[in-house]
Amino acid sequence: MALPLQPGLTPTEVAFLCEMETVTVVPRQRLESLPLISGPTPALRPPHRSPLPLWLALLLKRQRRANILPPPWLHPQSLDKILKYETETSPEGFSPPPPHPYLLTTRPASTDTISPPFLPSSTAGAPAGYLPYHWLELGEILLEACPDDLPDPNRIRTQLRDLREVRMAKIRHRTKDLEGGGITSLRGVGAMEVSEGRGFIVGVMDGIRKLGSNREVARREREEYEGGEGGISDEGEEMEYE
Amino acid sequence: MATTTQLRIQARPAHTIGTTRLAYTPDGTRLVTVGPNDFARVFRTESDGEPTTVDGLPEDNLAVNATNEYFVLGSEDGTVSKYPFDTMSFDKFLVRSTLPIRDLAISPDGGWCAVASDELVVKIVNTSDINEVMYLRDLPKPVKHLSFDPSGNYIALSCTDGNIYVYSLLEDTPELMRKIGDLIRTVESNSEITSKVAWHPDGRAFAVATATRDIQVMSRGDWENQRTFKDGHNGDVTALDWSPNGAMLATAGKDRQVLLWESNTQKIIAKYDYANVIDIAWHPIKNIISFTTSDGEVFIYPDFVPADNTFLVKMSIQPAPFIHDPLSELSKNIRRPATINQKEVPYRGGRQGTPDSVGVLLGDVMDDDEDDFVVDDDGAGYALGLNVNGKRPNGDIDPFDGPLSKRHNALSWEPTYHESFQPGATPWRGNRKYLCLNLIGFVWSVDQDSHHTVTVEFYDHEFHRDFHFTDTFLYDKACLNENGTLFSSSINGDKPASIFYRPHETWTARADWRTELPKGEDVTAISLSDSFVTVTTTANYVRIYTLFGIPYKVYRQKSSPTVTCASWRDYVLTMGNGPVGADGSTKLLYTIHNIKRDEVCQSEDVVALPDDVILKSVFFSDNGDPCIYDSTGTLLTLLHWRTPAQAIWVPLLDTKLLSRLASGRKTETYFPVAVADNKFHCIILKGGDQYPYFPRPLLSEFGFEIPISAVPKKVSEEDDAFTEEEENELKKLEGDYVLKSLLTAQQEDLIEATKSSHAQRTALQRMEVEIDKTLIQMIAVECREGEERGMRALEMVCLLRDRTGRMVEAAGKVAERYGRTVLGEKIREVGEQRLMNVDEED
Repeated sequence: MALPLQPGLTPTEVAFLCEMETVTVVPRQRLESLPLISGPTPALRPPHRSPLPLWLALLLKRQRRANILPPPWLHPQSLDKILKYETETSPEGFSPPPPHPYLLTTRPASTDTISPPFLPSSTAGAPAGYLPYHWLELGEILLEACPDDLPDPNRIRTQLRDLREVRMAKIRHRTKDLEGGGITSLRGVGAMEVSEGRGFIVGVMDGIRKLGSNREVARREREEYEGGEGGISDEGEEMEYE
Repeated sequence: MATTTQLRIQARPAHTIGTTRLAYTPDGTRLVTVGPNDFARVFRTESDGEPTTVDGLPEDNLAVNATNEYFVLGSEDGTVSKYPFDTMSFDKFLVRSTLPIRDLAISPDGGWCAVASDELVVKIVNTSDINEVMYLRDLPKPVKHLSFDPSGNYIALSCTDGNIYVYSLLEDTPELMRKIGDLIRTVESNSEITSKVAWHPDGRAFAVATATRDIQVMSRGDWENQRTFKDGHNGDVTALDWSPNGAMLATAGKDRQVLLWESNTQKIIAKYDYANVIDIAWHPIKNIISFTTSDGEVFIYPDFVPADNTFLVKMSIQPAPFIHDPLSELSKNIRRPATINQKEVPYRGGRQGTPDSVGVLLGDVMDDDEDDFVVDDDGAGYALGLNVNGKRPNGDIDPFDGPLSKRHNALSWEPTYHESFQPGATPWRGNRKYLCLNLIGFVWSVDQDSHHTVTVEFYDHEFHRDFHFTDTFLYDKACLNENGTLFSSSINGDKPASIFYRPHETWTARADWRTELPKGEDVTAISLSDSFVTVTTTANYVRIYTLFGIPYKVYRQKSSPTVTCASWRDYVLTMGNGPVGADGSTKLLYTIHNIKRDEVCQSEDVVALPDDVILKSVFFSDNGDPCIYDSTGTLLTLLHWRTPAQAIWVPLLDTKLLSRLASGRKTETYFPVAVADNKFHCIILKGGDQYPYFPRPLLSEFGFEIPISAVPKKVSEEDDAFTEEEENELKKLEGDYVLKSLLTAQQEDLIEATKSSHAQRTALQRMEVEIDKTLIQMIAVECREGEERGMRALEMVCLLRDRTGRMVEAAGKVAERYGRTVLGEKIREVGEQRLMNVDEED
């Protein structure tokens, strides 16, 4: 019996992965370095900022032992800029992801293949104006866990919602291009968006495939019926699909 | 109060019942009144004759203003017309509006006339060319009053929506500077109640009538509430005006009273019973006040200020009633020793006993001994302090201009002193001030008039509990560290200056101590280290106490007047004004003294500051290296300071070159807090602020970036991106190399001077390896660039610190990897040479 799970990650799983993202905290009390599997955490000394994994930061925040510094892209002005990019500058494409924090040069380096959540794309030093891979989950988590650390949380909430709607509409729109097995770029699309869109896109693709296979069967039958004279018209029909 | 002896002034029936307004000409010779009927009256000062009547006006004139040559009036039919005094007849219309004119203001230079009508736009017309008009648009509701500040650079609009809008006229197009809500009440434009902004003549503050019938003073620079003229009127205020020198304020209210206040004390000097007064004007020079009523009457009141207060009329411009005058605080810091002035003018001693002289009132000031310059400690808020005769020196020049302009006074040249300051403290803003901001926590004080409340908060909430207390000693300086808090208060009347230390933790009942300085000696700066308390004073003494209040050492500072001090463990750094440099200002000198060993590390060495640059802060980093931050936004540290005469100032970070400012759109400054963990901790100040304010902003941190070369350009997405990128990488590595060498040098010094731990020594070794690694990376970049860069690469090999030859070997390998065989051979030669004679000459 097959596992009753959909292919891909569920939203909760994506949110769980997002908790590996690094954020910057301002501790409110001392904490010695903790030896974790992912490596030792920095020793916390108030008011020095330190990078911590999100799950630990949330734990400390909940116990009022630290404040989380919101990443610069979560600032209302930055979100405004991104929203403007999404709606006006490029109403078709997605806003680009943040530039790779490690210098990409001609020679290959071990840092070239690091991907989220192991990139410092949501620390206080991250660039503003770019949505990182885990933007939606991280934004929601921070809005829920530490609205007091965010500037104007209500505005951020509506902005995130706007962004999400604009981008979801784009993803749905993109399925039109997929008709006939086209390829579309997912550059700049977040983890949660992929996970949410997966069901819809896969469904649509499957439906199209089924329709296509019906037509294919019909064509074969027609070919068989018409015999060997259909060579030229075949090509014409194939052209239609592209 | 002189209510009983007042004579009743007869009203001069000038107009019929209705709104009547008046204005003096700036020279004070004429008084113009307008009212509901179609003529204006022009009274001549000090003549009881019939006023000149100017006929042919529109009816219902609601506003008037005058210059020496002409007067301008605005009427209900929406016209603003100009009437020269020489012809006393209509000259021209300045503006026409579709709705009634409500207020007029002529700029202090007479060039512009601002007009408020019931339209949603304020027009500012050039009085000589009526085609030149500035518009202040986008107002939500009509404007009731407007007023130019004394410099004419700003205009304040009292809008009927209950807000004040202040526009800056410095640019060609007026710019909204500030919207002030919750100050004036919402009144209709035809109401008798006033919401007028009355600028204090010194231009730094203005007064408005609030809904609670008080007069609130607000400062212009920081828009904070200052002193309040309280409990005067029992009805709404209908008119207010400052006396021409700002020493008094006259107000009228619906409670049928006209009140005269003294600005400095906010006390009522006199009360007069006159009903329905709607406009008040002071005579620009004489002790005369004129007011009009809604009955169309004009009162010209000579000797309005009672006889025992007439000295207030003759004073030069007085400072606005600030809670903490920023100027007086500044001047308190400027210590001006017996100057050239005193040598030139034969000293005759203070003039005593003149009735009604300032001296009688400011007795305290006059009591000073003759041999001493009068210290500005009377707390009366004088910007400059008075000289022995109770006169403000150069009072007629602009006393409220900064000290710099004063110094350019041709009569007596004085060197520019560096003012004393307390590192990490901010000046009073409104009634609040940070006494100390550092990485341990922050101390702030709130002025509650009779006392202060001091709050100490820590960043580490587990480590120490926050506390606050009521402070009757009026502490104005504080230091905070892990062990305790140090406070100091200035001389206050008869109370001498005092120092108070409060440890955070004790195992006895009470370990805090307080000590008082000798009479007349004031604190200029304090500092607290793990072992000592340092106090520098106006008597040029450096007083050192142990943490339990035992006086440990007192010595006179060689450079004076003292500027500030800082301390770390046993080291005390004091700064003072030294000899005058070529630019006419004193050179700052510093001395670093090890108190316990009684050694002077650096004696009277120069603080390297460019011309006209002042010191913003001085502190020790967490590694114990002195750091300074100057007004150009540069952070410098002192290298090799433990060896006498070896110290040099090295820049660590130029905040003007930070990449966050590279776009050029941001304008921000930084308030230095500390240097720790090889990072610069500061508070980012936006919008032209000078100091942080409440609520406490977040600390930011920046890594060091020694200013070496121009800011690297952004990598463009073109074909040559890679070469540019390599250049940038090389620049970055070069910067790293210099910075790491500097930090290593500091670490070496530290290890040499102290009983170093094993961890410190290994850290030093690691740092040296790091430098070599950076060099190897640079060699790699050079090798990639090409054969022609080989010489440069070879030079880098010579810079390698490692003496075992391993690093040279690694460099050779790098060269071989990129196929630079010639370079590889040369590197090998260098390596061999180095192994042969380890003891190279320098």
